[in-house]
Amino acid sequence: MKQRTVSSIGKYVFLSIVCLFSVFPFYFIIVASTNLSVDIIKGRMFFGNHLFENIKTLVSTVKLGNAFWNSLRNSIVGTIASLFVCSLAGYGFQIYRDKGKNTLMGLLLLSMMVPFAAIMVPLFRMFSQARLLDTTAGFILPTISTAFLIFFFRQSSESFPLETVHAARVDGLGEFGIFFRIYVPIMAPTFAAAAIVTFMAAWNNYLWPLIIMQSQESQTMPLLITGLTAGYTTDYGILMLSVTITTLPTLILFFTQQKRFVEGVLGSVK
Amino acid sequence: MKKTICVAMVLLLLTSSLVFAAGKAETAPAVTDPNAPVTLTVWCWDPMFNIYAMNEAGKIYKADHPNVTVEVVETPWADLQQKLITSLSANATSNLPDIILMQDNAIQKNVVNYPEAYVALNGKIDLSQFAQFKVDVGTVDGKNYGVPFDNGATGTFLRSDIIEKAGLKVSDFTDITWERFIELGKIVKQKTGVAMISTVANEPDFPMLMLQSAGTWMFDENGKAYIKDNTVLKEALKITKEMVESGVCVLVQDWNAYIATLNNGTVASTINGCWIVGSISAEPSQSGKWAVTNTPRFANIASSVNYSSQGGSGWMVMANSKHPDVAIDFLAKTFGGSVELYETILPTSGAIATWLPAAKSPVYSKPIEYFGGQKIYEDLVGYAGKVPNVKYGIYNYEARDAIARALSEVMQGANIDSALATAQKNVEFLMSE
Amino acid sequence: MANSTLTKKINLYGWLFVIPAALFIFVLNFYPMISAFMLSLQSGRGNNLKFAGLKNYARLFQDEMFLTSVGNVLTYLAIQVPIMLLLALVLASMLNDPKLRFKGLFRTFIFLPCATSLVSAALIFKTFFSIDGIANISLMALHIISEPKSWLTDPFWAKAIIILTITWRWTGYNTVFYLAGLQTIDRSIYEAARIDGASASRQFFHITIPLLKPVILLTTIMSTNGTLQLFDEVKNITNGGPGIATLSISQYIYNLSFMYNPQFGYAAAVSYAILVMVAILSLIQMKVGNRK
Repeated sequence: MKQRTVSSIGKYVFLSIVCLFSVFPFYFIIVASTNLSVDIIKGRMFFGNHLFENIKTLVSTVKLGNAFWNSLRNSIVGTIASLFVCSLAGYGFQIYRDKGKNTLMGLLLLSMMVPFAAIMVPLFRMFSQARLLDTTAGFILPTISTAFLIFFFRQSSESFPLETVHAARVDGLGEFGIFFRIYVPIMAPTFAAAAIVTFMAAWNNYLWPLIIMQSQESQTMPLLITGLTAGYTTDYGILMLSVTITTLPTLILFFTQQKRFVEGVLGSVK
Repeated sequence: MKKTICVAMVLLLLTSSLVFAAGKAETAPAVTDPNAPVTLTVWCWDPMFNIYAMNEAGKIYKADHPNVTVEVVETPWADLQQKLITSLSANATSNLPDIILMQDNAIQKNVVNYPEAYVALNGKIDLSQFAQFKVDVGTVDGKNYGVPFDNGATGTFLRSDIIEKAGLKVSDFTDITWERFIELGKIVKQKTGVAMISTVANEPDFPMLMLQSAGTWMFDENGKAYIKDNTVLKEALKITKEMVESGVCVLVQDWNAYIATLNNGTVASTINGCWIVGSISAEPSQSGKWAVTNTPRFANIASSVNYSSQGGSGWMVMANSKHPDVAIDFLAKTFGGSVELYETILPTSGAIATWLPAAKSPVYSKPIEYFGGQKIYEDLVGYAGKVPNVKYGIYNYEARDAIARALSEVMQGANIDSALATAQKNVEFLMSE
Repeated sequence: MANSTLTKKINLYGWLFVIPAALFIFVLNFYPMISAFMLSLQSGRGNNLKFAGLKNYARLFQDEMFLTSVGNVLTYLAIQVPIMLLLALVLASMLNDPKLRFKGLFRTFIFLPCATSLVSAALIFKTFFSIDGIANISLMALHIISEPKSWLTDPFWAKAIIILTITWRWTGYNTVFYLAGLQTIDRSIYEAARIDGASASRQFFHITIPLLKPVILLTTIMSTNGTLQLFDEVKNITNGGPGIATLSISQYIYNLSFMYNPQFGYAAAVSYAILVMVAILSLIQMKVGNRK
């Protein structure tokens, strides 16, 4: 009896410490957003009352709304396109499984081992020849189809019963009809999990946008952040504010969707 | 079934139209009407110095050419290099600006690697009135590519109030050696508790500065790496290490922290290119408390003088520009022809002309309040005239990085000779094909 | 007869589903890869590239910076990945306990770091460990150190902080995967073990880990892949420094392409080196995983 209580107290303590460690940086960036740079440098750890001042300075120093909108638009469009293309493929690989497709899947998985650094310059060349530099298409095209997402949908589709497919066919539904009318609604948790992961990846993307962005107008939030550190002097207040603003959407997304997220991941792991 | 395919297609079309519609619009072809509005895009860094100077130049030019607008895009140097090379390597130059600012020690490298990217200025701008060493830095195979901008002449910038508290005067720091500087630094630290100087850790700024003061560089006359047998470099690393270990020099982790040590009074001096004046002067409470004198030299090296250079840059016109002639004329009339420009930018930013007519302006002999009434510009221009000339070569960045690494290893206790031998090996490796 | 045309039609559709995604990957991933391979057979600076055969690959072995960056990345791999995955396993198995209270809260907080971008994470930790940052202030307040330590300019600590940042950022991600995997394990197995007198740690090592093997394998391969390609964190916290103590292979490629005299051919060869390492390590991990 005693042993169990001690070990369970130990568990709570351990979990609490880990949570503290995970969450502390968020406390830090939110607090820092409300303080002046000089105070942050001196180590101030409590809320200040300079939030509005920092907001005003940030907005006048950079094109915040523009960068936020760019990030949002790129991420949303990219996520929709990604989900569309990869779910179709994952479904196809699983429901119409055959030797040829298995081989293809294996081949596509190889693409996950390709370091981005290897393809970044050839990709840049291709996109510049296609006149896609500095465009939304340019930002999102390389990330639309990923072997990981296809694999994820394929694994998740294992739980989608083939009998349903057959029955739907008998009912006269076409192949795409089965996918859109039956598969998508049933697999909503999978889509939710995929959407969260994809959105987060798109939102936080750094290296490719760094290379393909050519003008201030197409700047995204991660680039805006590094832009703030590259000047001669850094205002830590507005820097942390921009980090907070950048983190908010993904935070909110996760907070509101986490149950679905775990469900969706569960579906792929079963 | 057909319906669902239709829905899918429409969705796809919608998505892709959103995607493509958000792209940049095609720019209109260049017009030949001389009075049509022209925007010259300029990439450069440092709001207190380069950006400020370029904006002032834009104003001056606009007075006579109201249709020309100069638009500065703040681009940190590291980003500028990366964007430039990315675009040039992919032959995708449509997004490059009309004018860029280029560090002197990178001009050769960029021109040699991408000669078609820059406009040769021979015959289009009169460069004869610029200091010869600056013109040389921007010349490759007899063609001039850079309009020299600022002087990188170094000085020792001192907090006169702090050294006075230690019982010292500015003249105590004039014409001295590094060894003496360290001694004085110890006195200042002891008597006031303030560190003498600061530098960014793992950056080879001090060794570079010291090398140039002795008229040598990391490459010999044949362009071969001259590192491991370079006695000046050895001495430079030794002195830098001693400065740090004795507490005379504080190491900070990046550029911002370095500027902060100046503005917050954490250090009593700095030794850097004269362009640091702009950043020093940003702290109003220290007005009147600074002074300038010349740079320390080596005690044991005969060729070493009390003058050196750090940084310095020039403007280059990009070949992809839609208005190269306007860009060239702009630069010729402002940085290459306007005494008024240099007079305007000098007091606040410390941008010292390498354009000799400007250097003769009375503005240069004005006492500067921030520096206790000292005629710092007169002094700095004087220093500039005595800076030993060195050829930077095209492998500067490889060598810089290698020396930075050697310095960091030496700080950790490694033997100087072996650290430099490694550096030499690395640079030779990168130089080989 | 009707069956075979139906089958044919279904087959066609099967491929239609798969082709768009596959096409994207072929065009935007494989084709540049092949193009990069062609590049790696050329050498020269800027756009002056000439055919050089396998010379670039031979050069790799004499390149001290390359070898150091490989050493750095393997160090990160050997230390960070096991710590992170073990931690994630422990956390997941704790979170899986049906009797645990505040489960949702814990789970959310643990996953939270994944909501940050790598750039943000890097900046946060860089600020924490700067000379006048929180780490120094707290450690001095607790009298553990007497004067501020310059963490990021010390070769050992710089690596440690990068490992810390990566662990902070990715542990939650792996925890969720393990949590999902754990929920497929029947409770009754644990019950039986408990009745037999097995302690919690015995259960952990003899039930949890073996049953989670496929998920563990997946996360190991993903983490290995990610660590070998490490870029964002290193670039934004230490920029490879001090010296090249924290330089990652991807960052070396970036330097070769954009900071030094551009040597795209050689840079391509270095990136193929990463590919080979990832492939070999993944193969080894899969072999080991399938054997046990």
